[in-house]
Amino acid sequence: MSDVLGDFLQASVRTATPLALAAYGELVAERAGIINLGLEGSIIAGAFGALVGAGVGGVGAGFVVAALAGCAAAAVVAVVVLWLRANTIIAGTAVTMLALGLTGTLYRALYGAQGAALSVPTLGPQALPWVSSIPVLGRALFVQPVITYLLYGLGLGLWWWSTHTHAGLALRATGERPAAAFAAGISPARVQGWALLFGGAMGGLAGGVLVLAQVGTFSEGMSAGRGFIAIAIVVLGRWSPLGVAAAALLFGAASQLQYVFQSLGWPVPYQLFLALPYLLTLLALAGTQRRAAAPAWLGRALDDDAR
Amino acid sequence: MSDTALALRGIAKRFGVTEALSGASVVVRRGTLHAVLGENGAGKTTLMRIAFGMLQPDAGTVEIDGAPVSLSSSADAIRRGLGMVHQHFTLVPAMTAAENIALGGHGLFRVHEEAARVQALAERTGLGVDPSARIASLGVGAQQRVEILKALARDARTLIFDEPTAVLTPIESEELFSWLRRFVADGGTAVLVTHKLQEALSIADDVTVLRRGAAVLSAPAATLDVGAVVRALTGEERREDAAQPGRHATRSSRGARVASLDGATVLDARGIVRVHPATLDCFAGEIIGVAGVEGSGVHELIRLLAGRLTPSAGSATLPATIGFVPEDRLRDAVIEEFSLTENLALRSAAARTGRMPWAALHEQARAIVQGHDVRTPSVTTATGALSGGNQQKFVLGRELHDRPSLVVAENPVRGLDIRAAEHVLRELSDTADSGSAVVVYSGDIDDLLPMVDRMIVMFAGRLREVPVAHAAVAAAMVGAKMGAEPDALVGAT
Repeated sequence: MSDVLGDFLQASVRTATPLALAAYGELVAERAGIINLGLEGSIIAGAFGALVGAGVGGVGAGFVVAALAGCAAAAVVAVVVLWLRANTIIAGTAVTMLALGLTGTLYRALYGAQGAALSVPTLGPQALPWVSSIPVLGRALFVQPVITYLLYGLGLGLWWWSTHTHAGLALRATGERPAAAFAAGISPARVQGWALLFGGAMGGLAGGVLVLAQVGTFSEGMSAGRGFIAIAIVVLGRWSPLGVAAAALLFGAASQLQYVFQSLGWPVPYQLFLALPYLLTLLALAGTQRRAAAPAWLGRALDDDAR
Repeated sequence: MSDTALALRGIAKRFGVTEALSGASVVVRRGTLHAVLGENGAGKTTLMRIAFGMLQPDAGTVEIDGAPVSLSSSADAIRRGLGMVHQHFTLVPAMTAAENIALGGHGLFRVHEEAARVQALAERTGLGVDPSARIASLGVGAQQRVEILKALARDARTLIFDEPTAVLTPIESEELFSWLRRFVADGGTAVLVTHKLQEALSIADDVTVLRRGAAVLSAPAATLDVGAVVRALTGEERREDAAQPGRHATRSSRGARVASLDGATVLDARGIVRVHPATLDCFAGEIIGVAGVEGSGVHELIRLLAGRLTPSAGSATLPATIGFVPEDRLRDAVIEEFSLTENLALRSAAARTGRMPWAALHEQARAIVQGHDVRTPSVTTATGALSGGNQQKFVLGRELHDRPSLVVAENPVRGLDIRAAEHVLRELSDTADSGSAVVVYSGDIDDLLPMVDRMIVMFAGRLREVPVAHAAVAAAMVGAKMGAEPDALVGAT
């Protein structure tokens, strides 16, 4: 039984890793006041970038190219929204659609119709000494790919950065009241631009994880809505780095439940469990709106005379 | 060091065709409290925005500490020791006082050090603020203290206050003033932009009066009396002070009482009194003009009469049919993208159920377009495609269409050209002649005086009836009492 539980928790953390990476990216963008629906596009661009990069220079290069590709997708959103002042929702959706189509087309053009057979070097789980032998939790948390360990540091780092640096204050002030940030000598548009790029890079890394640490290959549309789930995770995590980590884990666990039930031999249609994370999202959204924790300026355009 | 802290000399600024400032000068001596007075639109705010680097002048010089400077942004002004406390605070409600004060810095933000620094500054300057309190949980007076601390934390030696008492309770205002006196006594310099005359005369060292973009009076407060300042504010030196022969001279009798306020009081969301118990009767066939500056409670009084606000104490007795022409046409009266007919349908949309009687509405819209000289290709044209004047004529026509017993209009000619403005004012006048009671507020009292029967003025939430004369109205708007005017005319009918 403890083995089943251990397997389940380990798989939950594994599933949660790309979700948490993307959600951290979205968290920073939303703290600056922007809902980036292009995140899904950054993930798929990152996945494709990882395939290309890893083929040329190994796993490390794969992650670097993944982050850059995710960043590039977000840069398109940033230019269209902040410079050309288009609607954020439409720009983000368009970038996601574009990235999904473009990566599929490029994949077939570069690797042919039989591309599925192709595989790339992957990042296996690496047990951390000592802590990995803690019963149950040790294996779940500390027998994971290296990138997962980076993620733990990132959560703490983001929390510390947003409360203990002036740049973190500027980020939060921009999402809360850009006019006040502007009056204090901060350029809200520049802050939003950097936040979008960071979010894109994180989305790209999430895509990289899918290819390099989980599936081992690329397939069209393999981001499978993770960008949108990440946006829900930010809401469920109430815009705090640690809350987002917990929410991502919850989603990871919900997605893994289907396998547990299958292994237990319960005659429940697996589609029901596929729907579980999404059902959880709806419940989370319905349940958490009482006390507003969202940045006050989230989703609103900047004033023309205070950018 | 120069003993001039801040000097603005010969400043000119033009926005499009409007000349906001035409060679205005203000010289602020170090260690003094300098009041800048002016009516609405005299250029006070523009001048101060130029002093603080938020706007660049077309002509003239800005000097700080005796040296001419060229300010390209407010960051420039802050570096040179200027601070500004805006009427609308620039604070982040979700962040603490310490975080707000630290905003815009670089490197690490050490929560405890910053809190201690703010605490020390608060104690040294006597501005009591809890550094770890979230702004949203603070009252307006405390928020203003945070704004002041924000400026002082950046080593501001000269503070500019834009209408600082507009949002404060009387007690908070008193506290601010006594703090300001101590601040200048300790060598600081403060500029107080205000429309409140008594306030300026009682606490300032020097007073500068702006009228139509130029300084018309600049003198130590001790040498000035209320009458001299009012004459400077309104430019009444040459004009006759007698009541103008307005509409009231041509009317012999008035009709039945249509609407009345009886001790009606309005509190805002914070529980601050915006309208002190007001008593007013409106009679059929009569036009009442309303004047008052921003924040005087005039906005609330108008909404009270239009039935858009309910009094929190006292009572408002209103007729069943009221026509209301709100100030912000595009926000409150019409939807630009909708056709004229659709905007007409909106008027009573809340009371209607079932199918839309489009044919009848088109008919009504056509009647309004014809009856009120609205220039439009058709009633299905988007309202936003019409000129401002034609939009306003349509709104007025819509509100007058069912012959309401009371018509309330708020700044009905703002932004209109002369012909459209005349048309709108004439229609209001005709409406009164046909037996409605009319209440009109205008930011420009010269528009109002020729057409009204009575004038009431709001000042600091109090309603006062004054003679229909420019000087009397202008004086009442800044809270001054003119010699000839009886004191307690509140509610007189």
